[in-house]
Amino acid sequence: MKVITGVVGNDIHVVANRLIDLSLRARGYEVFNLGVNTHLEEFFDAAVETGAEVLMISSLNGEAEGWGREVKLLKSRYRTLDDLLMMIGGNLVVGSGRTEDIVARYKNYGFDIVCHQVDLNTGLDMLAELLQERGLQ
Amino acid sequence: MSLLQEEREIILSNEYVDTFDFEEVANFVSNASKDLFISYHFARREKMLVQPRGGFPTYAQQYALYEYFVKANVDVLPLTIDSNTRLNDYATAKKMLRLSEENDMDMLNGYPLVTHGYRTTRKMITHFNKPVSLRHGTPDARLLIETAIASGIFEIEGGPITYLLPYSKNFPLDKAFLYWKYVERVCANYSALNEPINRESFGPLTATLVPPSITIVIQLLEMLLSLEEGVKSFSVSFAQQGSMTQDIVTGNVLRKLARYYAGQIGCGDAAINLVYHQWMGAFPNNQDYADQLINLATVIASMVGADKIITKTRQEATGIPTKEANAKAVADTQYCLKILNGLPRVVDEEEEEILTLEVKAIMDAVFNDPADTLWRKVFNSIKNGTIDVPFSPHIINRNEMITIRDAAKNIRIINRGKVPIPDRCFEYERAQCDLSKDTTSIVNDIIHDIGIMQ
Repeated sequence: MKVITGVVGNDIHVVANRLIDLSLRARGYEVFNLGVNTHLEEFFDAAVETGAEVLMISSLNGEAEGWGREVKLLKSRYRTLDDLLMMIGGNLVVGSGRTEDIVARYKNYGFDIVCHQVDLNTGLDMLAELLQERGLQ
Repeated sequence: MSLLQEEREIILSNEYVDTFDFEEVANFVSNASKDLFISYHFARREKMLVQPRGGFPTYAQQYALYEYFVKANVDVLPLTIDSNTRLNDYATAKKMLRLSEENDMDMLNGYPLVTHGYRTTRKMITHFNKPVSLRHGTPDARLLIETAIASGIFEIEGGPITYLLPYSKNFPLDKAFLYWKYVERVCANYSALNEPINRESFGPLTATLVPPSITIVIQLLEMLLSLEEGVKSFSVSFAQQGSMTQDIVTGNVLRKLARYYAGQIGCGDAAINLVYHQWMGAFPNNQDYADQLINLATVIASMVGADKIITKTRQEATGIPTKEANAKAVADTQYCLKILNGLPRVVDEEEEEILTLEVKAIMDAVFNDPADTLWRKVFNSIKNGTIDVPFSPHIINRNEMITIRDAAKNIRIINRGKVPIPDRCFEYERAQCDLSKDTTSIVNDIIHDIGIMQ
């Protein structure tokens, strides 16, 4: 199972990114880590290039909110990404908000799994469950 | 005209610089007060010098900050530069400075030195007549350091590795080496006119579980790159790591090997100083606990025998500190140093031996790279993973090394990646840790080990 991961936007918080990379590998995924400071186009380009099944975006400084709005439009320009499983996690808002509202908003942006301030391993368990549900694992 | 002078004229004929008078600046440096040179204070070795951090957008704010620091009995003043200037975006720095001046609101996270210019800034520096240290994070610092020295700032922090790997994702590392070569040469040339300009490397790197062997190797390499261009006064540095023993061992090995390698390239005459940073990782939110952490760091710096300590503040967890909090950290650190007397001498020979072997093995691998110059050897060594900095965001960094804390909170290497840690040392490091756990628990341990002071 191939996974693309990275931190979206001008965010350079690198620590969690490295830990996500480590944990995914430990769970047997093939990881393509684009690192910090990655723009949406780069994520989608990498998904096309590698044929990855999962795109896992993280954000700490909250700027994902701004990028999230553009996901659907941008993704629709790529012809081969309809089955790409989309996941986002980290701290997904600037300031604070109700988790239910945040999750609903990001699902509407086109994400299948939304982890707002969720522990790393819980998030990865959620991914494994969804993959199983879809018969991918 | 030399090639360097030609390059200087190009760099300084920048639209954001108000005519740079080379002759006047050289005269100023030649006749500058000895008190402005930190190298002069280091040479007297009277006490551990205390230096805070701090930079504000406007001249008036920076002046007020210095007044607070002087009242708190500071030894070395900082000048921290804003992020636009660090990225050579002088147009934005200029606009944000105007906004800050007109609206009484800070639009910059430091002092935009190039925008203020050397004629203005020099008035403040010579008025306080204390050594000033330039703190920035700039890959291309050519214009910035010219302006700094012309202002009377005679200590320049940074280096091609330590100001790039922790701060940037894709600024080209080879360019950084060449830009810093310029910095070293300019510092070396001015050093002939009066007391030496001091260069200081930034040892904390990512401040996230960096093992002492990597810290020391990078300190030594930046020192050698500086000394080979003629710099005569250099400070190696590192930050509090989490274990008092490991800090003392690191200090001893770093000091010894800096002398050794400086001698190896025929630069044994250069002054080499040791700088200790109070904890650079995540701070506790509780400000009283933060004070305790700052105090503990001061005690360890004394045990290490540092020549200078760089302070943090009790507001570290919450953002840019006020001048009052900053001045308090200086006063507290000075008080702690005053009452710290009769310290025991601690030596851990086994740890020192292991660390020395590790550093020498990595240094040998760097020197054995077939490239023709030292900077190219270092460049290749970073690219091929001989040097690997944990948690660097830079694309050139290998990111294969994994480190964790042992029971005594020493940072240990459990995966060496491509770094040539000798087998014996690697077995010793791993033997200190509980490796029976699965990766998920190890990742949880790493998260805990990073946030150890919170």
